[in-house]
Amino acid sequence: MGTLNISVIIKLEPDFSEGNVSYNPDGTLNRAETKNTLGPHSGIAAQAAFFGRVMYDAKVFIVTMGPPIADLALQQAQQISDAEELHLYSDRLFAGADTLGTAEVLRVGIEKMPHKMDIVFSGHRASDGETGQTGPQTAWKLGFTFLGNVISYSVDLETRTIRAKRLISLQGSSNVVEEVEAPLPVFISIDPTYKSNYDTISQRLAFEKYQKEAIQRAQNFKDYLKVFNAKELGVDETLVGLPGSPTIVYKVERLPKSTATRRAEVIDGTDPEQIRKVVTKMKEALSAMVIK
Amino acid sequence: MTEKYRHLYVVIEHEDGEFLPVSFEMLGEARRLLDDFNLKYSLNEKVVAVILGHNIEDISKKLIEYGADVVIFADNHELKDIRNTIYTKVICQIAQDTKSLGEIEPEYAGEVKKPRYMFFAADSIGRHLSSTVLVELESGLASDINQLVIEDIEMSHQQKTGGTKETYKKTLKMYRPDFSGFLWTTILCLDNKNPAFQRDYHPQSCSIIPGVFESLKPDSSREGKIIEFIPTIDEEDLKVKVLSRQIIKSVVDFDTPRTIVSFGRGIKENPEQNIRLIENLAKELNAEIGVTLPISKKPYSVSPALDSKYMIPDRVIGTSGHKTSAMLYVAAGVSGAMQHVWGMKDSGFVVAINPDEDAPIKNECDIFIKGRMEDVIPLLIEEIKKQIQIVEA
Repeated sequence: MGTLNISVIIKLEPDFSEGNVSYNPDGTLNRAETKNTLGPHSGIAAQAAFFGRVMYDAKVFIVTMGPPIADLALQQAQQISDAEELHLYSDRLFAGADTLGTAEVLRVGIEKMPHKMDIVFSGHRASDGETGQTGPQTAWKLGFTFLGNVISYSVDLETRTIRAKRLISLQGSSNVVEEVEAPLPVFISIDPTYKSNYDTISQRLAFEKYQKEAIQRAQNFKDYLKVFNAKELGVDETLVGLPGSPTIVYKVERLPKSTATRRAEVIDGTDPEQIRKVVTKMKEALSAMVIK
Repeated sequence: MTEKYRHLYVVIEHEDGEFLPVSFEMLGEARRLLDDFNLKYSLNEKVVAVILGHNIEDISKKLIEYGADVVIFADNHELKDIRNTIYTKVICQIAQDTKSLGEIEPEYAGEVKKPRYMFFAADSIGRHLSSTVLVELESGLASDINQLVIEDIEMSHQQKTGGTKETYKKTLKMYRPDFSGFLWTTILCLDNKNPAFQRDYHPQSCSIIPGVFESLKPDSSREGKIIEFIPTIDEEDLKVKVLSRQIIKSVVDFDTPRTIVSFGRGIKENPEQNIRLIENLAKELNAEIGVTLPISKKPYSVSPALDSKYMIPDRVIGTSGHKTSAMLYVAAGVSGAMQHVWGMKDSGFVVAINPDEDAPIKNECDIFIKGRMEDVIPLLIEEIKKQIQIVEA
């Protein structure tokens, strides 16, 4: 039985939960007022890594590129995954990068790790950028087999292979669940519907043991944190940040207000008489009211 | 003038020979864009459909009917399943194959090295495939696009031009609605003209949201070229074995029900109670329940039963989810962000419940019930019950 090294790429994102998110009067996100947190999809990727910790006694390494305050997201991810190292890649040179410039930093960072990684996880997409490109682009740069939309996985440590189920949504309403097998190393972008299952008593005991350890480690997360700047990582400065980014944001505008496609009749919602008229019209629209 | 980049390549998606609608939608938009482009610049560049798979030669012809000038197909049993590594490699082989690039339009043969533009679908397959292909081709990619314009852009940019004014000719302006639903971002993929780190970034590429663009009416009299590309298949790129594939219907069905009740952030004052109200309304109307994208990100804490049932991506109506043409659509506490409207605008009769008369949803509904859902929905339920009794009687 060999060991298993797992890395997770995470991101600090605006916290869209109620009470933490703040919008400007024009409906745009107020970044200054909005709190930051570990992105929800990053959290799911950390759960998938913790599954490897519990099932295969894997060592977990969390990485992120971001400003110094991104250590908060690393701490949150450590608490989920029981990671032994937290790596923050932070440098002004990295700012303004598109997904290609970001993937380059992550590639260099992961290749520089003290161990060779067997599985790298990323979340499905970020809540603020929403491109979903950084994961697969990092995978390609690393030369790792990429498996997208993974909903469950298991590892055979003897043959060094992974089995994974992927959820592929087709346009319309049907989905495909595909089961695949691949030799390690692999890069997995985790589907939002991923769930870890711990079925046996020994698995649940291991779960509890590592969960306790994770909480303790996260309390002292700075002991596990390593921060690297561009020089320490040894990145090619023309391949990261703005110079390494083919794309730029040219313009941000308000979405044009749509011209009215329908002429709404405005009804006072507190007037039962008017509500009666509404229901009659709904009924007409359905030809006859749908009866259960 | 010699140009190294020509034509617009569209990466086609199909499931076992059945084209996904987004393939035709991309071709439709590619056709419209390139017709204008050729007219404006007096050029003769082509819409090139790229299709990979097994036993696909026959279906390739159909892509011409839908607007492609040229189809390049790669047919190999190893391409039967869509596997990221081998698909990425073969698409990149095609994109850099100067022989087929020359065949597309002999006028440009010899000078052309890569496609000028490339389109992918922004779905489970195309989103990842576009990402890996563009790393391999070392160029830029914008995702989830809903509008495209080609024009010359004059600009000065600290990094891209080193601060001097430059003209970027034939630039693809790629518009993407952002996560908030209120902003529209234009992304450009530009060569670095800055002398400090000059680099070409072509093709200019994007992934396109399914359902946004209109496909053309198929025209069986359209003519075009079909080119077979023989891919180089390396064992190293076949590490992934597909063990099984199972088609499952989504748990949420937005196609069959005649009525859909959807909700958005307007539930916020009392999320738990309001979702229960919406459940009751949906029950009376025999409706399926939909949500807006922000709700799928679980912005409110509610009981686990409601959370796992409703605050899920599967229920999203809009560009990030489903499109419906329900006979009756009831939008409760939905502001009417463009992404959501796209998913419901084909509905027959639309009723909105919202306290804010300035909400954009007012432009998209037949009846706007001004009021809080807490007050309005109980009245609606009561009235529906009464009227059903009348119908039943």
